Amino acid sequence: MTDVIIGILAVPLNLIIYYLFGALILKANKRPVNEGLLLIVGFFTYHILFFVVLFPFMIKYRPFSWFVKTFLPILIVILLVSLIINFSHIKALINKGILFVKREKLISVIVFTVILLQVIIVTGTYNFTLDAAYYVSNVTTTLQTDMINVYDPFTGSWLDHYEVRYLFATYSINDAFMCKILTIPALIQTKLTMSAVVIIMVNVLYIMIAKCLYKDDLRGVAIMVSLMFIVNILFYTIFTSSLFLFTRTYEGKTIIGNLSVLTIFYIFMLLINDEEINLPWLSMFIISLGSVTVSSSGNMLIPATLSLLFVPYMIIKKTLKPLIKYLCCLLPGVVMVAVYILYIEGYFVLYTYPR
Amino acid sequence: MPDVSVASDKIEYLFKCLEKYNGSTGFLVLFFVMLIFVAVYADDRVKRIFVPLSVVMVLTVYNPLFPLLLTKITKIDSEYYRFFWITPVVVLVPYVFTKLILAIIDGKIKNKAPIIVLALLVIVMSSKSVTESGMRIAENKYKIPNELIEISKIIHADSDKEYPKAFLEFEYNMQMRQYDAKMLLTIDREDYLYAVSNEYTTEMIDSDEFPQYRLLAGLIRYQNVEPEKIVEGLKLTNTEYVVLTTGSTMIPALKEEGLTEVKKTKGHTILKLDSEEIESIELIDYSNVYKEGL
Repeated sequence: MTDVIIGILAVPLNLIIYYLFGALILKANKRPVNEGLLLIVGFFTYHILFFVVLFPFMIKYRPFSWFVKTFLPILIVILLVSLIINFSHIKALINKGILFVKREKLISVIVFTVILLQVIIVTGTYNFTLDAAYYVSNVTTTLQTDMINVYDPFTGSWLDHYEVRYLFATYSINDAFMCKILTIPALIQTKLTMSAVVIIMVNVLYIMIAKCLYKDDLRGVAIMVSLMFIVNILFYTIFTSSLFLFTRTYEGKTIIGNLSVLTIFYIFMLLINDEEINLPWLSMFIISLGSVTVSSSGNMLIPATLSLLFVPYMIIKKTLKPLIKYLCCLLPGVVMVAVYILYIEGYFVLYTYPR
Repeated sequence: MPDVSVASDKIEYLFKCLEKYNGSTGFLVLFFVMLIFVAVYADDRVKRIFVPLSVVMVLTVYNPLFPLLLTKITKIDSEYYRFFWITPVVVLVPYVFTKLILAIIDGKIKNKAPIIVLALLVIVMSSKSVTESGMRIAENKYKIPNELIEISKIIHADSDKEYPKAFLEFEYNMQMRQYDAKMLLTIDREDYLYAVSNEYTTEMIDSDEFPQYRLLAGLIRYQNVEPEKIVEGLKLTNTEYVVLTTGSTMIPALKEEGLTEVKKTKGHTILKLDSEEIESIELIDYSNVYKEGL
């Protein structure tokens, strides 16, 4: 039971970590910011840093526990720095939040209930999915073998080379990192803690989108967020991102389909109507780069999303000013697609042992 | 996406993908109906958000020629449907319904019947897929069957090896290592997926290079494989334990070939092959590599 309690407490812990990363990178202490966007951009910033520190350990065959000992102090220092820099901002945010809940009790209760219901559905139900055989087993395998991606999660046998499809998407290794420092089993971390975290982040995004569409009409926001939940529940075939959200919440590709794509869409919503937003292109670059470290599904999906939104954007606005920024945002996905094609065509192999 | 490919379906590929993606829900149709509503009735601010994206999507992602062009650059058969995720169904449909609900609340719409009928239609069309989804209350905090946990404990208690290797049936095979990474498995995912829908040829069953084929053919597909060949396959794959549904007709045959019953759980029988030919499997020693710096 202790591990379930730790798993539940880890939900706010993860959200705080992501928020502090977001507050640091988007300079919450200096500019007016969108708090929800801080959380989401912070999530991707965290995963970029995680990947950057992890990668050398992985391809140099160093034990996972060495990485944990290296990354944990880095993480603590960054969180402390962000907390110190953004302390007054966070204090003001908490006060603002309390005042809002007191003022808009009914709306707050409706939205909170809708989110809680989704968390209960996702964390309390059993659902057999094939992909867990890789993603969750990769967490247990990493913890058991103390090595990163050198054993096959499906069978436990040794792999003689790294599978590039999974090599750059280190989301499940982060699950192993959290399991290690919180001493919780992989199934609690993946199917309880991170599933709840993802549901909450996606719903924060839904609130942001509904607020953008309904402005100050909070009734509209509450109804729309509730209906988004209902549509997700009903739009249920094995291929929809809605199904991924409710049954495969532990997977990186769920985050790509439900968080990355819609956050880019949200930023587009603001930009196309010339509404105020802090560092939109930096945010999109971080989401784009962070997505490829979360799941290889982001390699094609994020450049496609950016193109479908921002090519018409430049035409409507009759400007080429954002072209360079747009191309920079495409870069992480395009590079990863190129790397993957080179690997498939046999141009390189990364072995799991020095040769 | 199974059963569809650009090579064989050509121009129809997109339509087949859409049919599978949408299932019986009708949400994509609803999206485009509501897009027309937005294009006609919404203010410019909202139009700018939804209309340009949708027009470009119709010209590209929803254009039957687009997958044919894309496949020349990279193989997209199995993952093309993910481009449909960019369509903001989960934003536009709730947005329009919210507009209608607010109009009813504010008394701007007198005749509520068409809206109620539309909402009911959406729910009825979609509810089938939800009820058939297979979601149920988890048996324990790990969200895997209790029996699987029991099987893991029985095998570890019985085995003298740190990493025992087991042959499990499909669902347990896919779940065991999520709970217990000390359990090595004989069959990987791809081999199991092949076995689900394909017969094995005699050549495959006789192959010593891929001894897992004869195990899947005999124990899962119930093809005609001599029990001694299955035992040989277990030895070749270093498999010590076989876990089968208690009703499996292969259990008596395997017992006749020398496998012993370790224990029965509620629905499964755990068999053990005692053989000196089965080797202990250890982790690879990387300690000499660590001496080098990063």
